[in-house]
Amino acid sequence: MLEIKNKVAVVTGGASGLGLAIAQGLVKEGASVVVLDLDRNKLDLLPDEIEKYCIDITNYELVQQTVDSIVSKFSKIDILVNNAGVIYSESFINIMNPSCMKHSYDRFKKNLDINLNSVFIMSSIIAEKMVINRTQGVIINMSSISAQGNAGQTAYSAAKAAVEAMTKTWSKELGVFGIRSVAIAPGFINTESTNHALNEKTIKHIKSNTPLKRLGETLNIFQSVKYIVENDFVNGAVLQVDGGLTI
Amino acid sequence: MNDKVKEVLAEVFDMKSSEITVGLTKDDIDTWDSLRQMDLVTSLEKEFDIRLEMMEIVSLDSVAKTVEILKSKGVDVGD
Repeated sequence: MLEIKNKVAVVTGGASGLGLAIAQGLVKEGASVVVLDLDRNKLDLLPDEIEKYCIDITNYELVQQTVDSIVSKFSKIDILVNNAGVIYSESFINIMNPSCMKHSYDRFKKNLDINLNSVFIMSSIIAEKMVINRTQGVIINMSSISAQGNAGQTAYSAAKAAVEAMTKTWSKELGVFGIRSVAIAPGFINTESTNHALNEKTIKHIKSNTPLKRLGETLNIFQSVKYIVENDFVNGAVLQVDGGLTI
Repeated sequence: MNDKVKEVLAEVFDMKSSEITVGLTKDDIDTWDSLRQMDLVTSLEKEFDIRLEMMEIVSLDSVAKTVEILKSKGVDVGD
């Protein structure tokens, strides 16, 4: 079993919601935690024990510089949690808008940039450091139940399905170095962004369709991260944490 | 080159030990791609208890080079 204590963890989108819960949980377990986030105001609210970088993780050069400086400070990175992302919904064909029925291609590309390309950028740069330093680390990618296809979420579903495919691919490629790659596919979790994105009626409907009849809590996602880090034989898996919604 | 080195290379590249000769380069071995290169690195490190630097890893492109690097690390590779 691997201990989280004394590990160096990078959490993207760690200034709020799931990422914040993961960052706080890792700190509590004794890890040195670095949070990358776009929201400077929320970053400023994080405790001093968390190292913070305000950065756009779709910018390859900026990520490279940031990771270089993290490794120069902490010597290594053991855990990468690719949590940052934006839930995005748009119909593929919207018959309610006859003047422009098609899904915007620009918004499709932008969404892939945020939810998919950023995961590639972060992981490739940090995996290189892990290989060079022979760090037997773990890359944890946040997927979603939408990876299985969700009406009204072409871009988001495509990005998350690709994230799961990358997770499995990396688990095969990097396993020889002892580097693991695992995805978590959360269902509906009780966060500010969920409550912002969904109205009360929809949340009630989701609860009713979930065998456990409730939303998940951010702690449930941190518990999954902890399990993945500590169990060093878990590799290439997609952990569904959705209360049974997708069964 | 001794049998131990041959065995490691044969295992990594799915070949018979008897097929491994010092004159082979990566162009002669169909299975020698970037993924096997990673396998080669970790197998050599584990088997001979050494640590390869990045410059050495990228220069591993033949059996002869592999032997040369192992020798430079103090590994007994035979004649």
